[in-house]
Amino acid sequence: MRPRLWLTGLGLVTPLGVGVEATWARLVHGERAIRQITLFDTAGQRVRTAAEVEGVEVPRGGWSRTSIMAATAAEEALRTARLDVRRMRVGLVVGGTTGGMFETEQLLARLHADPQCREVLVEMLAHPLTSTGDRLEERLGPFARIRTLSSACSSGANALVVATAWLLAGEVDAVVAGGTDGLCRLTVSGFNALGAIDPEPCRPFDRRRRGTSLGEGAGFLVLERADAARSRGATPVAELAGWAVGSEAHHITNPAPDGVLVASLIHRAIKCAGLSPRDIDYVNAHGTGTPVNDPMEAAALARGLSAEVARVPVSSSKGQIGHTLGAAGAIEAAITALVVSRRTLVPTAGLDEPDPAMGLVHVPHVGREVPRVRAAISNAFGFGGMDTVLVFADPDLRREAPALAPVQPVVTATAVFGPCGLLGTEACASLLERREPGAPVEPEGHLDPGRARRLDRAAQLGAVVVERVLDDVGGRELATGLVLGSAFGNVDGSAAYMHRIFERGPRSASPAEFPNLVPSSPVGHISIYAGLRGPALATADLGISGESAFAQAVQFVTAGEATRMVAGAVEPRSDIVERVLSALFSSQVSSIATRCDLAAAVVVESETEARRRGARIMVRVRQTLEVRGDTPSLVGLVEPLGGRAEVVLAHSGCAVGPLLDASAWASCERRVCGPAVGESDALGAVAIAVAAARIGAGQTDEALVLGLAKKRCHATVLVRG
Amino acid sequence: MSSPQLRAELKKLIVTELNLKHRDPESIEDDAPLFGGGLGLDSLDALQLAMSIEERFGVRIPEGDEARQIFRSVRTIADHVARVQVLPKVGQQG
Repeated sequence: MRPRLWLTGLGLVTPLGVGVEATWARLVHGERAIRQITLFDTAGQRVRTAAEVEGVEVPRGGWSRTSIMAATAAEEALRTARLDVRRMRVGLVVGGTTGGMFETEQLLARLHADPQCREVLVEMLAHPLTSTGDRLEERLGPFARIRTLSSACSSGANALVVATAWLLAGEVDAVVAGGTDGLCRLTVSGFNALGAIDPEPCRPFDRRRRGTSLGEGAGFLVLERADAARSRGATPVAELAGWAVGSEAHHITNPAPDGVLVASLIHRAIKCAGLSPRDIDYVNAHGTGTPVNDPMEAAALARGLSAEVARVPVSSSKGQIGHTLGAAGAIEAAITALVVSRRTLVPTAGLDEPDPAMGLVHVPHVGREVPRVRAAISNAFGFGGMDTVLVFADPDLRREAPALAPVQPVVTATAVFGPCGLLGTEACASLLERREPGAPVEPEGHLDPGRARRLDRAAQLGAVVVERVLDDVGGRELATGLVLGSAFGNVDGSAAYMHRIFERGPRSASPAEFPNLVPSSPVGHISIYAGLRGPALATADLGISGESAFAQAVQFVTAGEATRMVAGAVEPRSDIVERVLSALFSSQVSSIATRCDLAAAVVVESETEARRRGARIMVRVRQTLEVRGDTPSLVGLVEPLGGRAEVVLAHSGCAVGPLLDASAWASCERRVCGPAVGESDALGAVAIAVAAARIGAGQTDEALVLGLAKKRCHATVLVRG
Repeated sequence: MSSPQLRAELKKLIVTELNLKHRDPESIEDDAPLFGGGLGLDSLDALQLAMSIEERFGVRIPEGDEARQIFRSVRTIADHVARVQVLPKVGQQG
């Protein structure tokens, strides 16, 4: 039987209050926190209201609003779980969309006035998405493993799904997982440009609804296996009983009106919990209050819950705390767990005139106690149709969760696209022997111009490699997931978008550009372009983002979350990243290598599925080891099996040498990708593709891919299939 | 009534703003439907187009049903732009 997963600690920072109790008290009473924005000047914005968190004090030393809210919530979650990170292997998963954009906007404003200002440039990349995990590691760590992810507005929910995969694999003892997002000019102007903000505080499921209201905050949850939690004397708030993740492959901002994917996720998540719709006593809806979301979600609930939809109360917390974006999935998951635990339904504020077209049972205005909440659903939907459904259950509820079948992840196709050209599975094996001069990188020529018209440079590069591996591996009808890594996300796009606003005001914000600024945007666009319906998300881990994407894909395949995933990294050449690097390092090195457009992808799938299809198995994934720390060590890394073994490295950085020399792989030949491919943060994904292809071509039997960046290290061991 | 130049300018704007690289602006017919069938544009395109028309011509496209009428074809957009542009400033603000 699958181990049960207990939720043993919660932490919330919301516009209703700092802390779980402060939030809960006001939530149940239907209080609303949506009012005039005070964080920044909103002159020229169509709608100037949002739900702000009050009393956030941002410490000095590289903190952002987003990170300090996360630290506050994660600290509360760890404290209420009575978890000691020094005595257990505790993982951390952080979901989000903006990182420190609020702080970065102030730098962009100065850079707008003086494009070469060195003082600003050296600070420009201080608040990437990964910075929250790094700050939490310093303040609350050490953590055994850290993942930073984005799937737009389902990020917080997907952080919990990642946690389930880690726990079920037994790779960590507990996970603190959640989401965090601070309000910023970029999101306020962007949602305004989309016409998606209600001039009144938002009114989910109301017939007068005109959009959502934005909010900010953080939510973190501690999850652990019930057996381990029980043996340390912990008590559960609720169980995370079921979950399901998928992609609509429909449209970058609009959900598919029929809600078919969401309905299937509801169905799968309930089944994953070992329950039926009859056991569901409450739904915390995504319920944004936009004209298109609410009817889609109502249709999905009707389909997913069948006749039970006429019984199950549904509410949305967004009329009170606003849409907290990357935090929403986690904050609302915590709220749903509390509803189960406290047998008290929370309301939909602002719901004066329920839209009869919804056909739902509502909880208008104020919450109410109920005799029992056996199980409850939390929905989270993101841009690009990246949707997640979670089921929380009363720990005393009798249920039989389906057993986990052991899965061996294998790699069946690889592709690299950059100055080396577009190389498929076969050609990747000889990539490091190539010495042609760099060719111009022209993704447009590989894509259908009509379908690709919304793809920015990153999405184009990614779509080319994803299409290539799918062509190589066949079986396009399979539900396939996608994880792509990026070190800093769309820095140039965000800068250009903000510069327009500084120049001409918020009304000139481009509705078409805005969705491309979310870190998961390339993943969303590519899932739509290639018709991928499995779990889709972006990872960020500085220079080893490609390695983190690969590890995540392996973990999802191992956990049975997807039978097949495409994993890789996409890094378009970035003018700002280059300027920042030269400002940072100009005093130390004579010249900074020009970085190139680069993308790489591999197909990771279950060996059983690959064999069923008769696909060629290039390599088995023997280990993905993720290490954190000031001086990461390779303790726990497997030894070579004894055949021909080599080490494939992205760069020939000086820190890699001593690390390898102290390992069992010390005497293996070392191959470096950078010189043959060009400089890029996507080189780690290239290294994995090259290693898999070389083994697949019989050039070696086994390979270690080692990626190293500031205070983090990823080791991937691949062996002949 | 709009001028042929204004309609030609709008077609170029549609192609560049909505990234319709595969379309020749001149191949877009004045009265062809832009949304749904026709050019296959959707609500996100309508928002982008409304923003760029406001930027380029200083003409706001109203929201809701009115916008739907205006966005029927290149001709209906051009007629709206021409009509609003001749109005005195005061009228625009009202």
